[in-house]
Amino acid sequence: MFIEYTWLIPVIPLIFFVIIGLTGNKTPKEGGIIAIIGALASLVLSVLVVYEFLTGPAYNGGVGYVTDAVTWFSIPGGFTLTLGYYVDGLTCVMLMFSSLISLLIFIYSIGYMHDQGKRNRRYFAEVSLFLAGMLGLIISNNYLMTFVFWEIMGLCSYLLIGFWSFRHPEGDVASDNAASAAKKAFIVTRLGDVSFMGGLFVLLYAFQSLDYVNLFDPAAIAAVDTNLIVLATLLLFGGAIGKSAQFPLQDWLPDAMAGPTTVSALIHAATMVKAGVYLVARSYPLFVQSADVMLLVGLIGGITAILAASMALNNMNIKKVLAYSTISQLGYMIMALGAGGYMMAIGMKEGNTALIAAGAAGYTAGVFHMFNHAFFKALLFLGSGSVIHSCGTEDMREMGGLGKKMKWTSITMLIGSMSIAGFPFFSGFWSKDLVLESVMKASEFGPEGYIFMIIWILGVVTAFMTAFYMFRMWYMTFAGPEGHATEHSHGESPSTMTVPLMLLSIFAFGSGFLILFGLDGIITISPDSITGAFIVGMHEGHGAVHYIEELFTNPYTYLTIVLALLGIYIAYLMYSKFSVNPGRFNREGESRLYKALEKRWWFPQLYDWISWKFGYGIAKGVDYFDRNVIDGTVNGLSGSVVGSGESAKYVQTGNVGNYASIVMIGVAAVFVAALILIYYMGGM
Amino acid sequence: MIPIEFFLMFSAILFVIGIYGIMTKNNAIVVLMCIELVLNAANINLVAFAAYNGDIMGQVFVVFTVAVAACEVAVGIAILLNAYKMKKTTVIDDLTELRW
Repeated sequence: MFIEYTWLIPVIPLIFFVIIGLTGNKTPKEGGIIAIIGALASLVLSVLVVYEFLTGPAYNGGVGYVTDAVTWFSIPGGFTLTLGYYVDGLTCVMLMFSSLISLLIFIYSIGYMHDQGKRNRRYFAEVSLFLAGMLGLIISNNYLMTFVFWEIMGLCSYLLIGFWSFRHPEGDVASDNAASAAKKAFIVTRLGDVSFMGGLFVLLYAFQSLDYVNLFDPAAIAAVDTNLIVLATLLLFGGAIGKSAQFPLQDWLPDAMAGPTTVSALIHAATMVKAGVYLVARSYPLFVQSADVMLLVGLIGGITAILAASMALNNMNIKKVLAYSTISQLGYMIMALGAGGYMMAIGMKEGNTALIAAGAAGYTAGVFHMFNHAFFKALLFLGSGSVIHSCGTEDMREMGGLGKKMKWTSITMLIGSMSIAGFPFFSGFWSKDLVLESVMKASEFGPEGYIFMIIWILGVVTAFMTAFYMFRMWYMTFAGPEGHATEHSHGESPSTMTVPLMLLSIFAFGSGFLILFGLDGIITISPDSITGAFIVGMHEGHGAVHYIEELFTNPYTYLTIVLALLGIYIAYLMYSKFSVNPGRFNREGESRLYKALEKRWWFPQLYDWISWKFGYGIAKGVDYFDRNVIDGTVNGLSGSVVGSGESAKYVQTGNVGNYASIVMIGVAAVFVAALILIYYMGGM
Repeated sequence: MIPIEFFLMFSAILFVIGIYGIMTKNNAIVVLMCIELVLNAANINLVAFAAYNGDIMGQVFVVFTVAVAACEVAVGIAILLNAYKMKKTTVIDDLTELRW
């Protein structure tokens, strides 16, 4: 009944984008109300679609998905590209949290952006388009449509990160101003997008189609050369690396903090960076064809997690700490998907159903962490936005003691911090421990399993660091003596901002419990026992007992809890009680490690170096070729024509006698030639 | 009967005189006259061959050619008259406006 209208979910915000863009200044709140109505309509329709799907026949014993499409265009030779929707368990979960969080962020924006005046029309139009991009990506039924919406999001992130493009407070490098940061985000993610597009070409060549239904068909997969699938999945993963800010393309995300805080919340929680993880989760049937690819996926996730967490340890900017934590948490998701896929790939090769089930648990852990992360990261970003709104600065050294002035913000931020730190029973605890458990389990299988042991160690260290830097942030902002900015702060933010914070804090605390009540049944993936087709969802959840037993009989869970508490305690000692001076560990900011972290492990320099040496070098070579070879050929040709004309024009003397002479000489020459010809032909 | 070679030789001599005049003379009127010589050299050939072969076609051609030549001279003299009006000269070396 509603599921036939799934296509409307992204179309509604798209229409509202046009309406706000055209008439925004004449509507209440410069289009803000319209944007909220659009997000609300999408949310309501999403809820209806999800409800109908989960109670419908397809999900309960059917094929596990509902899809429909219209032909977009066909290419002679048998390729038909379609536009349509594809609803399964993963789609449902993504739809729910994307539209819900976007709605809350839009409401919050009314308060946060109130002083932007006419520029709000641009803001609300672009966030509506952003939401349309994400929702369209989620419901796409084929890779090309996914790619189109993927690019729409790339465009919107560029526009929104550069929202304050006219400000040049400190300089021209990407970390200092919005215009350069937007350009950097666009160009760095573009690298991933090119890779994604390459993957599409390989898939189109191998499968003659880009529809999920055809690509995930086990018979089709079996008919295609595995090497082609490996190539395609590696290229697709390159796209995910760019979009989800994984190592080595992670460096655009911290700079993207130049945009408004609400945009950061939107990018980090509901849209954009989740698209990369979604792509890997969506392409699971292809990814699990090779255990090696999954090993690489897990490894990239592990490296990203610890690299980003380390950079958050000493950052003084409240938003950048959160940005690094996002990258780090995305690393967790990718890590879990890699570990699960690794086990599933080996399990499918050996026909080991227990191993396939363990792989499915890894998939669940990754998607579940994405789900939880969406809530607590939206909460944290909106909370930091509230702090910035009140203090007028992003530097945590100037804050401190805000807890008394901003009660609601401090409490909700505390809930978000506890959740991301993995404090027991908060949402982050459930998913993070499931992720680590899956990685641990993956280390027992296959010849390269020991690599997952390393990834696990990286993950555990990251968990400790996460607890430390999140509470460092919280204590520096809300506890301790009042800082310079605190004294001048406006106090608590208006209720349009605090109410979304409260709602999100409920989710940030409670979303983890959903796994105990059957959410895992919706976001699992497994090959059907008869046909071998991959089905997302359609399982009974393992239930509360299973997870509580699994987590609390596992000694490593206690290890992570202890490490998280230890991290919180150290942060407390250093930044609230001041009994331990953090300068002791880094020689007052002079140690090499500290400087390396401040310089972000030299990644910006590396990007610059690559751009200057390779990018600029190639550009110079191409420029030389263009100017000298191509332009040279064209100019040379035209020059020779002009030159020969210039020299031959003097034949035109204007003297009739000369012309007559030339005609006569010509006639005589023809006559003589004819005579010679006749002579040699033997005539006359 | 006079042999055909005499007519051909006469025609060739007339032709060459005409060509020589066209190429060397500096007065446009003389050049026009020389063009008439060249045309008539061709006419003599036609008439001679018509008589030699007993074919009346050649003589018909000559009548046409004479008519065409008359037209051509009319046009040529008209051009020269206009050129003279503009330039006050009919010397070919001075009428070299249409060039590079």
